[in-house]
Amino acid sequence: MKLSVDRITKQYKNKIAVDRISFSLTEGVTGLLGANGAGKTTLMRMMAGILDPTGGEIFADGIPVQSENYRALLGYLPQDFGYYPEFTAREFVRYIAALKGLDKKHAKEKTEELLELVGLSDVAGKKIRTFSGGMKQRVGIAQALVNDPKILILDEPTAGLDPKERVRFRNLIAEVGNDTIVLFSTHIVSDVEHIAGNLLMMKEGQLIYQGAWDEQRGDLEQFYMEEFE
Amino acid sequence: MDYENAYDKIYKYAYFRVRDRATAEDITQETFLRFLAKYGTLREGDIRCLYTIAGNLCIDEYRRIKPEPLPEEDSGSLYAVPDSSEDTAIIRAALSELSPEDRELLLLRHVNGEAVGTIAKIMNLSRFAVRRRLQAAEENLRKRLEVDA
Amino acid sequence: MKNNDLGPLIREAFSAPEPEMKQSFLKNLKPREVSTPEVVLQQFAYIRIPVWLFAGFIMLIVVTASLFRFENVENFMTVCMPFAAAISVLETRRSARFGMSELEMATRFSLRTVVLARMTALGILAAVELLVCAPAIAASFGRSLLITGSRILIPYLLTMVSGLAVERSPLGRRTGYLSLVIAAAVSVLVFLVDNLDSRTLLLYLNMLKHWGVALVFVLLSLTVFEQWKTIHHVEALA
Repeated sequence: MKLSVDRITKQYKNKIAVDRISFSLTEGVTGLLGANGAGKTTLMRMMAGILDPTGGEIFADGIPVQSENYRALLGYLPQDFGYYPEFTAREFVRYIAALKGLDKKHAKEKTEELLELVGLSDVAGKKIRTFSGGMKQRVGIAQALVNDPKILILDEPTAGLDPKERVRFRNLIAEVGNDTIVLFSTHIVSDVEHIAGNLLMMKEGQLIYQGAWDEQRGDLEQFYMEEFE
Repeated sequence: MDYENAYDKIYKYAYFRVRDRATAEDITQETFLRFLAKYGTLREGDIRCLYTIAGNLCIDEYRRIKPEPLPEEDSGSLYAVPDSSEDTAIIRAALSELSPEDRELLLLRHVNGEAVGTIAKIMNLSRFAVRRRLQAAEENLRKRLEVDA
Repeated sequence: MKNNDLGPLIREAFSAPEPEMKQSFLKNLKPREVSTPEVVLQQFAYIRIPVWLFAGFIMLIVVTASLFRFENVENFMTVCMPFAAAISVLETRRSARFGMSELEMATRFSLRTVVLARMTALGILAAVELLVCAPAIAASFGRSLLITGSRILIPYLLTMVSGLAVERSPLGRRTGYLSLVIAAAVSVLVFLVDNLDSRTLLLYLNMLKHWGVALVFVLLSLTVFEQWKTIHHVEALA
């Protein structure tokens, strides 16, 4: 599958958040690097079909981003998300599964499978509001995977995870990336170094680097520091 | 109807007819493609139609390999799965002595969880006949278990 | 041995090797179709318990009180309806309030469909309330069904129309409970009409006799219009 982003632009009243960006992705893990306010979240929201671009187009194998068929292929973890206060981890994932069109039996099985995968099986029946930030984030990852997405967009998925959870997450994403287009944003370079075969770097709404990291340009961490901090 | 679920059901159905993973999977995929080519999308209740298509494909498969005897007679090795209980082994042996149709009834009802009405339509029997035959087959299995216990 | 014990054994006996090509095959198939009624039914399952309790409570009280010919029941019902409406209105903002909007927008049906389904589910619940309570009251007090029906519906719809409009406004979005204030106001208003003096009530009833159905119809159209606006508004990300 090929996900093409073609001259995508988002302009707010007096600010261009994303400025004519074009790239295409195939199966595998792509890391999106950039400082806060670089336009990462805006770009990802447009790619998740929840924010209309001012200009440009996004297609997955010819399926436009605004269509239901595109959303059926999509798994999305927003940077910030909440939950209905009465939800347990299990109910939360099942609810999203229902909205993604899984039938009841399958939703049930898939939910258990994913909660196991993110290591929350033993607290599946507990209310999310009793969870730590890292646990909540893991619920978020589980819901994004519930429909076996072909396109997985994760906005700052490692935020709030402790080092152990981070390692676990990386392994999970590397595995999912074998047959899925994964795009995840972060500002932690080591997240990307380990698992992302492909890189996008954004600065002030524009793409300043794309492709695998070219070792000849030196250390990625160094480059990142110079560009963004 | 959810695709993965339907795939599992049709695959099991085909597998216990042709007793070969690759063939069963070919039949399953062919069933889906034929169905979707005709109807475009899968809805709740379409599973019946999938069974029918798969059933016909299995019959074609029998015809193709006809001269060879179907391997299902040699039941012990075919049903055998490591680490299963004694009861399961008894049931497995008992199943292999049932008629293929009764076995299919049990599969559809207990493994795939289809409603009696759905089974009746798939197998072209009356609901009453389905219930009666299921009961008889279950009774048969239960007796075998009791004898061996 | 019982029948239920046989199921797991049979399932185990019919063990087939795991299919190998399943995932790669399914990924290339189109998604299954989900119908709108299915989405509405789904949302029914997620209506919160307090909402059910409130609806059940009203119906229980009204039906029992009608049976015992307790005069004030009609009054009770009209005073309660604005709050039933406010609950529906607040439901439209529930996703935003709990930070679920982005997640719900990125699913198959989009947030619009989800909110539409949620409102339909609550609308059906309100309709059931009306269909249970209006005949109960009308029958036990020998009133006209149309007048009783409009007396119940008008405060409900009035709260819906103004509540939906207010919740979309910047002030409504900031506070988050304005439709409850409106419900209280409408509730007080109908209470006054019903109880202030017999002449006002008579005037009101007389008006309903001639114009009740038309008024309900107008308010209903306005409600649908406001709902349409709300649903289109709901996906506007800040």
